Amino acid sequence: MIAIALFAVFIVLMLAGVPIGVSLGLGALIAIAAANLDVQFFGLLAAPQNFYASLTKYPLLALPMFVLVGSIFDRSGVAERMVRFAIALVGRGSGMLPLVAILVAMVLGGISGSGPANAAAVGGVMIAAMARAGYPPAFSASVVGAAAATDILIPPSIAFIVYSVLVPGASVPALFAAGMIPGVLAGLALMVAAVWLSRARGLGKTEANEPRPPFWASLREASWGLAAPVLILGGMRAGWFTPTEAAVVAVFYGLFVGMVIHRSIGWRDLYGIFQEAAELSAVILMVVALASIFAYSVNTLGIVDPLTKAVVASGMGEYGVLAALILILIVVGMFLDGVSIFLIFIPLVLPIVQAFKWDPVWFGVVMTLLVAVGQFTPPMAVNLMVSCRIAHVRMEETVPWVLWLVVAMLLATIAVIAWPELALWLPRSLGY
Amino acid sequence: MSAPRLFEDRIAVLAMAALCFITLANVLIRYFTDESIAWTEEISGVLMFVMTLLAASSAFARERHIRIETIAEGGSDERRRRLARFAAIGVMVMFLILAVLGMRMAWDEFRYEESSPGIGLPKWWYSIWLPVLALVIAARAAVLVRRHAPQR
Repeated sequence: MIAIALFAVFIVLMLAGVPIGVSLGLGALIAIAAANLDVQFFGLLAAPQNFYASLTKYPLLALPMFVLVGSIFDRSGVAERMVRFAIALVGRGSGMLPLVAILVAMVLGGISGSGPANAAAVGGVMIAAMARAGYPPAFSASVVGAAAATDILIPPSIAFIVYSVLVPGASVPALFAAGMIPGVLAGLALMVAAVWLSRARGLGKTEANEPRPPFWASLREASWGLAAPVLILGGMRAGWFTPTEAAVVAVFYGLFVGMVIHRSIGWRDLYGIFQEAAELSAVILMVVALASIFAYSVNTLGIVDPLTKAVVASGMGEYGVLAALILILIVVGMFLDGVSIFLIFIPLVLPIVQAFKWDPVWFGVVMTLLVAVGQFTPPMAVNLMVSCRIAHVRMEETVPWVLWLVVAMLLATIAVIAWPELALWLPRSLGY
Repeated sequence: MSAPRLFEDRIAVLAMAALCFITLANVLIRYFTDESIAWTEEISGVLMFVMTLLAASSAFARERHIRIETIAEGGSDERRRRLARFAAIGVMVMFLILAVLGMRMAWDEFRYEESSPGIGLPKWWYSIWLPVLALVIAARAAVLVRRHAPQR
């Protein structure tokens, strides 16, 4: 009864447009109070304790730091230099610019940890270039939105940081390593789809007439940017720094490249960059903090146990349950952002994961893949929203293009579900 | 982006910069002396807490928090105004409750003289910021409630 009230209050508030975190928090406060009517303060003192504890967790500091890295590299001028080098690498022709967009998004994914920041950086350079080469803006927006979704799979990744904070037994380094191969696989699937779409529909025919940049000169120009993922991932692998420290090193490296080497960031821009990053992280962390009250109420109300038992005993079997979960996540992913999905679903789903003895790292990768697909599936697609704004198209116009890319990435997801080793081999062989 | 008008932004930016410098200092000191400064974790945690609440406050004031807009942004102007006001009331109630409960939590920590696990400072020095900043957010929400009030 109280459990139903908890979810009813949350869903009604959320649909009415109350911020998602506040909807979760208010639903949880009502449920906790209703269950503890005879206790001092109705048992609500747990609310500020959980709120405070969740925001002072040290590992979570990696999140605002990687958001800041995204904001800095967005303006550091590395994206356009990487694009020029990638064109020099793959050459010109129909379908090559979309390929370059995906390639650059993947490399930037090795620096930043959030999809929308990646979409802004890649879209800012690629969408105009693709328009000049004759690609329809709706197609370009679709490619950039989808390509940026590989960002939360390729380490570093904000989604993995949040998952690791929520799930005991899934460390950030293990998740980062586990996301690498699935992220590259998803990127390859998108490349195949984008090139095939371009060739089949005859897009970008004039691209072959455009000049090809010189290889060595563009490699030298791009090298500062290309070194960043090596520094971040290599530094973590070598044990020089923790994920949080890697982010901070990347902050200073990005500022150095942006302010000294490429001179695209001035002293006056710093305030705006830090302010934007603080606000973006606060928006995510506010959901994290308020959802911790929600998770507390879900765990103490005794909803999870009966639910888990019912699911396990439902006769659907391991794969039936997994298929049902995936369907639910795809549908929810169309309407909710990734971090909110993690925070709402993990308290409910984790006991099921444990009951079936699924690997929590593998499950995190699968969940992140589905969230990544949701980031560019209309109507609620955070990445696509960014790229559509840059391309000046409405999201509806992208549907005929973007659905092919959704299918491509879902195929990559199915591969990771069918062969868990795609995710688990790398962290195991690195010894995490 | 937006004009730097809110005092929360300025302090949040300073907190963000401080977090960067503290963490970098930690890396450098460990590199040169093979020792890590344990207390930085505790300070960084509290700084992140303060930064989040401050930046969240300005994001509430600008109505930039994650929410489902499909219903709230559709329909007549009047319906949009009503839902925006409803959302602001929700935010205000949530953070007023958190302010009261947070005050109580800090009071308990003060009464029982609890000290922090890392440095051993009184715990309420940290937790007192929850009710204070929750009140700031509630005040920002109250401004929105007034702004979205029905016009006469």
